[in-house]
Amino acid sequence: MAAEANNAKPTFLSPPQEGKEPIVSLRGITKRFPGVIALDHIDLDIYPGTVHALLGENGAGKSTLVKVLYGIYTPDEGEIIINGRSTRLTSPADAISTGIVMVSQSPQIIDTLTVAENIILGLEKYNHFVPVTKVYKTIREESKRVGIKIEPGIEVWRLSYTQKQLVEILRAILLGAKVLLLDEAITYLPIEEKKRFYKFIRQFADEGGTVVLITHKIYEAMDVADKITVLRRGKVAGHLDRKEATIEKIRALMFGERSAEITYERLPTAQPEPNTVLEVKDLWVMGDFGGYAVQGVSLEVKEGEVLGIAGVAGNGQKELIQAIMRLRPVIKGKIMYNGEDITRKTTYYLRINGVGYIPDLPAKYGVSIENSIIENIAVLPVYSRGIINWDKIRELTLKLIKEFEIKTPSPDTPVKFLSGGNIMKVLVARELTVATNLLVAYNPTRALDEATAIKVRKIIKDKVLKNKVSAIIASEDLDEIFQISDRIAVMNSGKIVGVFPADKAKREEIEHLMVM
Amino acid sequence: MVIVRRVKPLPYWIIPIIALLAGIAISVIILYVLMGASPAAVLSAIVYGFTRPGVVAKTFVALTIVGIALLVSFKGSIWNIGGEGQITFGLMAATWVALFTALPYINPGLAQASMILLAMVAGGIWALLAALPRAYLGLDEVPVTLIMNYIAYYIVDILVRGPWLGKHVYNYIRTDTIPSQVMFPQVPGTTMTWDGLFLLIILLVGVWYLLKNTSIGLRIKILGNNPNLLRSSGISVPLMVIVALTISGFIAGSVGALYLGGDVYRISYPVEVHTANYGYTGILVAWLSMLELIAVPIAAYIVSALYTAGIQYQILVGGHLGQLITAGSAIVDVFIGSILLMYTILITISEYKIKIIVKKR
Amino acid sequence: MPGSIASFIIGVSSIFLAYYLAAVGHGLMEKSGVLNLAIDGVFTLGVAVAFAISVYTFSVPLATFIAMIVAAMFGLMLAFITTKLPISHGAAGLSTMFLGYGLAALVGLPARQLQINGRSLATIQPSLGGTWVWFYVVAFAVAVGIWYLVEKTKIGAAIRAAGENPASAEALGVNVLAVRLFASGVGYALIGIGAAVFELAYTQVWSQGAGMGYGWIAFAISLSAGRHPILIIISAMIFAVLDKYRFLIAAIYNLPPDVGKMLPFVAAIAAMIIFMVTPLRRKLAPPKSLGKIYFREERSV
Repeated sequence: MAAEANNAKPTFLSPPQEGKEPIVSLRGITKRFPGVIALDHIDLDIYPGTVHALLGENGAGKSTLVKVLYGIYTPDEGEIIINGRSTRLTSPADAISTGIVMVSQSPQIIDTLTVAENIILGLEKYNHFVPVTKVYKTIREESKRVGIKIEPGIEVWRLSYTQKQLVEILRAILLGAKVLLLDEAITYLPIEEKKRFYKFIRQFADEGGTVVLITHKIYEAMDVADKITVLRRGKVAGHLDRKEATIEKIRALMFGERSAEITYERLPTAQPEPNTVLEVKDLWVMGDFGGYAVQGVSLEVKEGEVLGIAGVAGNGQKELIQAIMRLRPVIKGKIMYNGEDITRKTTYYLRINGVGYIPDLPAKYGVSIENSIIENIAVLPVYSRGIINWDKIRELTLKLIKEFEIKTPSPDTPVKFLSGGNIMKVLVARELTVATNLLVAYNPTRALDEATAIKVRKIIKDKVLKNKVSAIIASEDLDEIFQISDRIAVMNSGKIVGVFPADKAKREEIEHLMVM
Repeated sequence: MVIVRRVKPLPYWIIPIIALLAGIAISVIILYVLMGASPAAVLSAIVYGFTRPGVVAKTFVALTIVGIALLVSFKGSIWNIGGEGQITFGLMAATWVALFTALPYINPGLAQASMILLAMVAGGIWALLAALPRAYLGLDEVPVTLIMNYIAYYIVDILVRGPWLGKHVYNYIRTDTIPSQVMFPQVPGTTMTWDGLFLLIILLVGVWYLLKNTSIGLRIKILGNNPNLLRSSGISVPLMVIVALTISGFIAGSVGALYLGGDVYRISYPVEVHTANYGYTGILVAWLSMLELIAVPIAAYIVSALYTAGIQYQILVGGHLGQLITAGSAIVDVFIGSILLMYTILITISEYKIKIIVKKR
Repeated sequence: MPGSIASFIIGVSSIFLAYYLAAVGHGLMEKSGVLNLAIDGVFTLGVAVAFAISVYTFSVPLATFIAMIVAAMFGLMLAFITTKLPISHGAAGLSTMFLGYGLAALVGLPARQLQINGRSLATIQPSLGGTWVWFYVVAFAVAVGIWYLVEKTKIGAAIRAAGENPASAEALGVNVLAVRLFASGVGYALIGIGAAVFELAYTQVWSQGAGMGYGWIAFAISLSAGRHPILIIISAMIFAVLDKYRFLIAAIYNLPPDVGKMLPFVAAIAAMIIFMVTPLRRKLAPPKSLGKIYFREERSV
């Protein structure tokens, strides 16, 4: 309401926002983690009635900052001022009681609980022993008012990603949110849904609410924000008004001196050889929660070719990749590797026969962070059988550290002391070395900053070209798919819905097929 | 109160020492409150334990071996709480060799070696039985190994009351005493045996080599830190679980032979009352060692001193609880429990620090 | 033979109630995400406390009450340290188990000495005046009460949320510490009452180590019934019958009495295996974050 009043009656005494006190102010917020300063003396003012975007690439400190604002992390130094009062937030419950509510990229609502149960947990007006059904009526009324259709008694795991995000928003409203923290909450929504959210965000701000929109997509910030703050390496790189912001300005602030290195041009390709390295025929694979995640997929990868698999997360790519790596049972269909049927073979067989594998979430599946670099390399069965020849493996490790420019004090350093980019390099270095024939990868550059991500893609592509290795790379990042692939297959709901040569593929068409 | 990760961890040996002191302090208080035990008497018993290496030796050897055994599985994050059962099975196998084969009379040296080896095999098999459901069904090994301790006791009880009941036992329910040829010779001036000492050295060196230079050792360590990496490397996780737990039981089993050949010379019924509880006490040893092999003997010495102290205290102030004296083991339990608990809580301080945040309202 | 059926039902009533309460308390605690490996130690301690207080005061209610309070204190401690500190639930539980064993002996032995010197022990006789009926009534009332609490109320949703994903639960506004303190406190209070029933109504004797192992059986009962308060009734009944009649069963088959002693333990492992291999495992899945270290300030990349 206040914002509307201000907009309607611009006073000559002061421009709209300067006349008001900020609803949230951060002063000198600093947060350290072992090995990194995630936030380095951040100052920030957020005014009521605005949509304020926090931009920055992966690892710039956006998520840490949001978690500080939501009481999940406590800052090492600095002050949070809410409505003019210095406030200590020690838990999300604290934040909620001051009117700050977060909606994040991965829905926080819990799958095994019903919608109503998830919502009632934050509502202080209900006492602990009240039956959950008490809140049904309120939920139905409020969701009608906001214009979404949600049955309060339904368990959350039955909902789609979009519906879950809607429930999160509904929950925020019912909690009486004054400041809404959207942490990449809309980044991964299909385009039409995104537009509906933009409308909602605008409306919320116009009614006097405040939105903090955290994103790494420049256009998202440009689409909807009034103010933009760019973070780089834990520091504020600059504040911009929407009116003065241009893509170039923002890019310069986001990437700094490296912005020249950031390019999404296609990497050079070679003429693929005629023989097929990997062939998948009518593959059916179960998902984690029952039901087929992969439904009759057929594809092939030629020697010296990169096949990119595009798709929104959760459309069966993970299961397909795992089935190829023999980490997930095949219900029906066939997988051929170098002309040999490997449907009943083990992962071990692939690993000693020239297949490299870069899994999703590398710190979880690809390396053991408590172990040293050298142990992380030695673990592969090609390097260790029976008695380990440590001299030979040390030599190889030193060679890889040099070749891939891995920054580490020594090969015996536990991987957990390396930065995210260097951990990824350890994994990529190891896998490219064993991938004498085929590389299987899923999101190989997720969680890397842009410059490093591009470097890793170049290394992979280089290896493919030089050694005639084939690669099948699934990624949720279309930029990556376009940059690295020779052919692009689009996956949607467990099926391949289109295959295009990369040089002729149209981005809009692929985006459409992905969400169709 | 807020916990944050330390930017630099504390040196790792500090925590076991603080935990030890804090645990002893708590035990002294508990013993004072519940039994009226004078702290001076408890502390003097502890001093006694720490200053008598010759007396402590037997317990020290047993606990070091159990510590090594548990370390192997703990390194793989497989929590073998079944040392008791594996030792009991080892005891059973060794007894069989000593009493029911002709070996002791043919070749005493070979007989002693067979007692130890068979005890290890028996311990390994008992651990393997717990490893299978853990590996293939994902059944938590902690309750399974623990419950199997009881089953092992009762199997031996059945034997001792039944087919193995001795002929020269007066009215006691127990087996015959083993032939003197297979009573392990003692190291002069100590309570330990040469067999035990040799075995200890072999196992220390063997496990050191296993963990340092073999692919099995490396895979066990990675199993403990991130089994997903094993899986994506093409190494069977269930198989490694089985290997880790079976090796652990295999080593633990040998303690059963040492207990028979160097300590009790016979099995008395019911075995669950006459056990030395090394399988449980060894957990404390393994934990206090911070899973560092070289620290296992140190931890074992400390714990065996405390163990001896518990027994010593009972002898010192024996009359206190009348004829019901079995409180020695209870005192040991209180020591183990409070030190372990302190250790578990304090270990967080080496990696995390606690900040107290005062809320402003 | 209605008479023998009645005596059968009366016969198992006390051990059934003891198992039921311990198992349901254990399940409630684990629903909130705290792995409970201390159960056997605290159960053993509860047995000793109930015995000692009964000898000292000759009061069954007081003995039960004190056993309940002592056990609940341990539950609160476990919930506090495992939630507030980033420590291993397994290590905390096992340490507490040892402490429980030790304390049980120290609490019980002096009272046992008094008993030997002529003091008597107050007990409950299930067969007297329909007491056994009340045992079943209590068990069923607790079953329905806990079921309603966990499945239907706000705090029940909070307990399940804390067990599924404490970080998300916190973000949704749940005070995970408070919820786990509640679930573990109530859970262990039930375990304490179960231990008292075991001592005062079932065994009615005490020697060092009394109750040891029974906590693990309660653990297995709870696991094999998927921690579900109603299903635990069935599981607890099977184990109650097995425990009460194990020597009889051994005698019928002409087996040594030690086979009888072994029977409940073998059955416990069998029950856990059956749970894991059948569809029960999917239907009654354990809380996703059970026993996982909850550390809010962890970096999540």
